[in-house]
Amino acid sequence: MIIRGVFSMSIINRLKSLFKGDNEKEEADISNDVSNTSNDVEVTSSQKVEETIASEVKTEEDSPKDLTFKKDIDPVEDSSEEIVEEAEAVEEEVPEEVEAPAEAEPVEEAPEEVETVEEEVPEEIEAPEDEDETTEDVVEEVEEDSNNNDKERDTMTLLTDKELLNDSNRDPDFTAEFIDAGIETVKHCFQCGTCSGSCPSGRRTPYKVRQIVRKCLLGLKEEVISDDALWMCTTCYTCQERCLRSVKIVEIIKKARNIAAHAGYMAKPHKMTGVYVMNTGHAVPINDAAKALRTKIGLPEVPPTTHAYPEALEEVQKLCKITAFDELIGYDEATGGLKE
Amino acid sequence: MEIAYFLGCIMNNRYPGVEKATRKLFEALDIELKDMEGASCCPAPGVFGSFDEETWATIAARNLTLAEDMGADIMTECNGCFGSLFECNHMLKEDEAKKAKINENLAEIGREFKGTINVKHFAQILRDDVGYEKLASLIEKPLDLNVAVHYGCHFLKPTKTIGIEDQAENPSILDDLVEITGAKSVDYKDKMMCCGAGGGLRARDLDVTTSFTKEKLEHMTEAGVDAIVNVCPFCHMQFDQGQTEVNERYGTDFALPVFHLAQLYGLAMGLSAEELTFDAQKIDATPAIKKALGE
Repeated sequence: MIIRGVFSMSIINRLKSLFKGDNEKEEADISNDVSNTSNDVEVTSSQKVEETIASEVKTEEDSPKDLTFKKDIDPVEDSSEEIVEEAEAVEEEVPEEVEAPAEAEPVEEAPEEVETVEEEVPEEIEAPEDEDETTEDVVEEVEEDSNNNDKERDTMTLLTDKELLNDSNRDPDFTAEFIDAGIETVKHCFQCGTCSGSCPSGRRTPYKVRQIVRKCLLGLKEEVISDDALWMCTTCYTCQERCLRSVKIVEIIKKARNIAAHAGYMAKPHKMTGVYVMNTGHAVPINDAAKALRTKIGLPEVPPTTHAYPEALEEVQKLCKITAFDELIGYDEATGGLKE
Repeated sequence: MEIAYFLGCIMNNRYPGVEKATRKLFEALDIELKDMEGASCCPAPGVFGSFDEETWATIAARNLTLAEDMGADIMTECNGCFGSLFECNHMLKEDEAKKAKINENLAEIGREFKGTINVKHFAQILRDDVGYEKLASLIEKPLDLNVAVHYGCHFLKPTKTIGIEDQAENPSILDDLVEITGAKSVDYKDKMMCCGAGGGLRARDLDVTTSFTKEKLEHMTEAGVDAIVNVCPFCHMQFDQGQTEVNERYGTDFALPVFHLAQLYGLAMGLSAEELTFDAQKIDATPAIKKALGE
């Protein structure tokens, strides 16, 4: 089992050791970076780490007091799922950035902060740069370290064992359903966030399209299908139009909704739309006012659709039974409504 | 030229003036609109497509077979119907496995999807099959009206499969069609944004839907337009009935009348407000119609 959160912490640790200084702030900032994404879908963890590092280095060159961090350290709560996902993003992306801080020699000269750090975690400062040979050790250190410091660093407590993503959370069959449905592009997503940035629903609801795509790929079935936000998409296709990777995002959302609907997550008004079609062939059936209007302007009172052709309606009803749509929505043939 | 005229649900069952104007327009264009007898709901792409793809495709394919039997391409004036029928037609033409599965279902009612026809949008036919020049010749008196064009979503997107416009962020087809009538298409902020009704959202969460609509109405109003023009009866309903819902929820007083493109052409061709069933719409269109006709 790969404990992704812990692994990402090893990277954090490595960054710390590379810096040989400002241990606390660096760690808090990165963990906060991870947790920050809970309320806002974004993919820039590695970028942010890099930027923060850069700004830190710069600031420390100028002055030992690093005010730029303070604004970033507001703890963000209630983010268990997102953290795991974002932690993985950190795992994937941070290694590319590792070289940058390694060259940040000026940090060593940051006088006050290095002293403080050396008192607290001297062993980490000596951690070898060749991380591959010492990963296990580092992980152990981090685990111990985080346990010891839970109370001191609230943001780090967000990465606890129960919140980690591991294979037992994942349902590969769920991911396979997308692939089997011809939506192989779910694998092409590199989590840039253009979709969420373009989404008119995401501006007003908890719907996070980038995150849903990621969860579908990871196989986090229950998280995806039990979330009401899945139904906040209007299928406007703006995300899919703008997707740099040509991911069929709307297809992914509709497929996830199909799976949700078959698992029983279907709103009553949606079932009723199905009932109307079962009863009349139309999601918006004709009414007396429309009949009067049609007659008044010289159109046939009833349009030449299933409304006017009962045998056509029977075809539609038969097809809905063949595909078991009637069972899906809980259609009660006796009453023409929903089963209780 | 013959076209299989797909009515759908909302247009014929709520805004029959759109159907009336369309029949009148195509009569003038000498194009025969043939009824698809026994057609059903498309069915709605964001609703049925979200519940069960197989049911969605089966019902849509049944509608497609009606036009195949008639040997005519389908025309629809609803973005939702267009989205469903175009997408299903495209999918079944491309995907043999899905076609086989859907045909297994259709065989139970003695039908078979063959893939012999195309699905076209009303506006697409006006541009590509009729042409702007011929349309312009029908306009007796140019309309004096500033309008906010609302494209909607399933008319142009996804562009890669639909291809009516090369890219959906900056289209011109509806603006061109509007300006042929003499009306002016006024640009406004976030013009390409969704009305908020689609994807089953209107049925499920009216608060969120009206929040979309309010944003659009604000931007349209800021641009100083007299009316909204759309090519989708569901967007039409959302801007008409939805506008009163926005006003109720937010205490606003938006009063932008809503025209389907067919109604705009009907007005330019001399049909009355009653014939276009503007009297049955929630937002009073009388001031805009008077201005448009120079009365």
